[in-house]
Amino acid sequence: MANKRNATLVVVLIIVAVAAILVWRPTVLINGIQAAGLYASIAIPMGLILGIVHIVNLAHGEFMMVAAYVTYMLCIATGIDPFLAMLPVALVTAVFGFVVYKLTIKQALKSPELNQLILTFGIGISLTQVANLIFTSQTRKISFDYVSASVDIGDLSFGVFKFVYIVIAVLMVVGLRLFLTRTTTGKAALAVGQNPRGAAIVGIDVDKTYGFVFALASALLGMMGAVFITTSSIFPAVGSPFTMKSFCLIAMAGIGNIPGILGASILLGVSENFLKAFRATRGWADIVFFVLIITVILGRSIKGKKA
Amino acid sequence: MKLKGSYIAVVAAAAIVIAFPAFLGAYPLNVARSVMTYMALAISWDMLLRSGQISFGIAGLFGLGSYASALAVLRGGMNPFASVLFAAAFAALVAFALGFAILRLRAMYFSITTLALMEIFRIVMQNLHDFSGGPEGVVLPKIIFDGYSPALYWLCLGGLFLTIGVSWYFEKSKMHLALTAIRNDETSARSNGVNIFKYLLIAFVATSALQGMMGAIQVQSYGFTTPDTAFDANFLMLPMAMALLGGIHSTIGPMAGAVLLGIASEWLKLKIPYGHLVVYGVIIILVILFMPQGLFGLARKAMRNRRKAGANNE
Amino acid sequence: MKKALAIVAIVALAVPVFAQSGGTIKIGGTWPLGDITGKQGSMAAQQAVDEINAAGGILGRQLELIVVDDELKADKGAAAVEKLVTVDKVDVLMGGMASGVALGQIPAMKKYGKIVLATGAASYKVEEALGSDANWYFHLHPWDYNQGASYAQGWDEIQQKYSAVKIKKIFLAYEEGAFGKASWDATKTLFGAGGRYVVDGASFKSAALGGGDYGSMLEVAKEFKPDLFLWAGYDADALPMLEQAKAMRFTPKIYLGAPPGWPVGFGTSKLSENVMLYGMWAPSINEVSATSKKFYDGFVKKYKTEPATYFAPLSYSAVYIYADAVKLAGTTETQAVIKALEATKYASPLGQTISFTASNIIKHQGIKNQKILQWQNGRMEVIWPFESMTAKPVYPFPKWK
Repeated sequence: MANKRNATLVVVLIIVAVAAILVWRPTVLINGIQAAGLYASIAIPMGLILGIVHIVNLAHGEFMMVAAYVTYMLCIATGIDPFLAMLPVALVTAVFGFVVYKLTIKQALKSPELNQLILTFGIGISLTQVANLIFTSQTRKISFDYVSASVDIGDLSFGVFKFVYIVIAVLMVVGLRLFLTRTTTGKAALAVGQNPRGAAIVGIDVDKTYGFVFALASALLGMMGAVFITTSSIFPAVGSPFTMKSFCLIAMAGIGNIPGILGASILLGVSENFLKAFRATRGWADIVFFVLIITVILGRSIKGKKA
Repeated sequence: MKLKGSYIAVVAAAAIVIAFPAFLGAYPLNVARSVMTYMALAISWDMLLRSGQISFGIAGLFGLGSYASALAVLRGGMNPFASVLFAAAFAALVAFALGFAILRLRAMYFSITTLALMEIFRIVMQNLHDFSGGPEGVVLPKIIFDGYSPALYWLCLGGLFLTIGVSWYFEKSKMHLALTAIRNDETSARSNGVNIFKYLLIAFVATSALQGMMGAIQVQSYGFTTPDTAFDANFLMLPMAMALLGGIHSTIGPMAGAVLLGIASEWLKLKIPYGHLVVYGVIIILVILFMPQGLFGLARKAMRNRRKAGANNE
Repeated sequence: MKKALAIVAIVALAVPVFAQSGGTIKIGGTWPLGDITGKQGSMAAQQAVDEINAAGGILGRQLELIVVDDELKADKGAAAVEKLVTVDKVDVLMGGMASGVALGQIPAMKKYGKIVLATGAASYKVEEALGSDANWYFHLHPWDYNQGASYAQGWDEIQQKYSAVKIKKIFLAYEEGAFGKASWDATKTLFGAGGRYVVDGASFKSAALGGGDYGSMLEVAKEFKPDLFLWAGYDADALPMLEQAKAMRFTPKIYLGAPPGWPVGFGTSKLSENVMLYGMWAPSINEVSATSKKFYDGFVKKYKTEPATYFAPLSYSAVYIYADAVKLAGTTETQAVIKALEATKYASPLGQTISFTASNIIKHQGIKNQKILQWQNGRMEVIWPFESMTAKPVYPFPKWK
């Protein structure tokens, strides 16, 4: 099922890419893929949690915001580069994610998903507002020379640094696939995700697995948050828009389909930039995202009916 | 006998609420309007939830109603009161058309689709510059009742009463059985001959009309709207939180939740000018953790325990 | 109904009685306290109140500031006005930042007719909603069209004074929300008319709202080859946009930003050098204005942090302007104070004297012009208007190394 879906995605992607090349706007592809990398690398950790713990974490973006502020403080205090800060920050956010899981989300695992939604919504508000009290709403940004690294091809100059996000996204997809299929812990996690009761029967500690997956996803998100501060300003509400975006991407790919998140991100990134490339359609670029999501979801439901 | 008692209580409560402007100043009335708006949204959202469908489209339909009403007055010269009805009808019509496509969806996919529709409404309103005023929105030439506080209060109260009435009708009629059956076990409901789609469509259209109506009342009471005000994400998350804190699948639960959160937010703001939203967020977390059934659920449990204790004593 | 009317009437009668009786003079403030603008605005207003009280108050009475958070929401803002007027019985209202909140507050303000000293709300829609009868509304912040007109004048004068500066093509990058759209409309009408300038623009999604990709917008700008590149967005856009412009080797002769505030430590970034900006206040104005220095030193001493937004000196000014008017009128009675406010001549910390004149619709518009500034060696220097100039402009904007 997931493979077939991914195949369809690939076909659509190729069509979009050809269309972009046909009108000869190479920047559509460049900007689109750079944007897609960012979307995907933030959405993938959420997809991991949703696929295994079956929790929609509405505080997802706020977790990244916390990671970004931790990185910022670390870089200001020690002068190290955010890329070096990735590991310590991942450690901090893994602990943070684990503690939040133990204290709150774990208590609501048996509750209806609505309770989980509102619980994580409350966590999100609290995190944003605490950050606002400590740091105020004034934005912060450290500038790094390498962010403006560029390439010239003929008349065309474009930034290349943001390709780092697509690299991160691909690494996450490959790494998670290896982890979930090759390691014992990973296999156990996958089993819990597919059937928690069955996994418990064969002796897998479901609660421990959930806690571990939550910490792992938080660590990945923490690394992402560290790199995020190289290209983006940070402020208390910086993460919030990414929560809904990630949620939509996962829905588009289908739950449990992590490579699909990357595909959906590329499709959206490129289509958005396609609209942005023309004057008349620029203001409408945002709508692509939502129209595509509805189309994909409805299309799948109709196909499901037929099957 | 018991039924009669509760009717008297309801009528008395309604009378007190109607009489509020006689002894409350403009400020409490203003806060009350805001609480009532959220209350109506929370109740209407809960009405569809009784079928198991979690809609994320509250703010979308609220905003759509705001714009329908504002633009009907501004571009069509409609009477402001008529525009409230027009907005409700318009939201109902949109819901009816969309319902055919999206009511097939279940669980998270239904939620996401309603959320995406809300964003689409917002982007359309933001980009139709000449018609909808674009990002800067529209300002109405005058406010309904010339801004007279008690009248604005009663208008909002009227919208709320209508919502409560429809919600009660849903609770007491066969809608209740149908929606509960769909929520509990859709397959067996279908095999028992429940026309699932019909009931979902009725519920979706009715709740959308109510949400659109509240949007229209809001825009006529403040005399302006912008895409950011009309489609504010708070109109999505707060009604959900209120319904849950009060107790879902009922009319009284969302009402209790709206009073609790609405008044808490205003009170906290005055007590802790800087940082009240932290406390607000923590309250939501604590209530969900320690009262997962909501206030109403807690009360119901307490009542049941007492009754059980009473039965044991006999 | 009758009873309700009677109560309203009693409240209406009671308010002036309260105002006249001794005790403190109450100032009601509404700002978005969760935002740096409103937070520092309210702090600066409190600073002004404390300074005035320390100097003995006004008419022998102390000032009292009561602040209510408007939470950047229209309904909360309106409720705040109702509370301040009917519960706290304040003598004057001040504050404000977002136009969307002001639009929600205006019906309540109209109902009471209290004096309002508005420190925000730039949108012309707010002026339309007020109408020409609102003689109690004193708008300190310039309207969006005032700002546009003042920039047009500024660039005229700069080009006359410095013959090297030549501007023909102007490109505006504007965020797609209300703020950016209003800037675009104003720029098109003010610079586009008459054929003196060639104007083009493109919108972008601000990083403050989940955007932050400027690639396609910068591409259009680069193709246009503007002499003046101007962006209207938020502080979150400042550095990322510069970084992307550098990566695309986009080098306009003037690179100018018009956000309401700048990021923490923007001046310490190498990229900030010689970026120009539109604004109302900068710490460098301390050199040309004694009030600015007094305000700045007092703020830093009291709060151990720098004022980071012009809403701080603007709100500080609002308190002083009202206090001066009450002193002049000898009473807090509304009509007398309105008269006194009309005679205001306040040498403000913004480096200019504030007085009230008519704008397109309302009678009492305070500040009408903005300033053109430039980041030089990590400091914001004023380059126009020339009377509050702190440095000469560096032109053209340095090409990327």
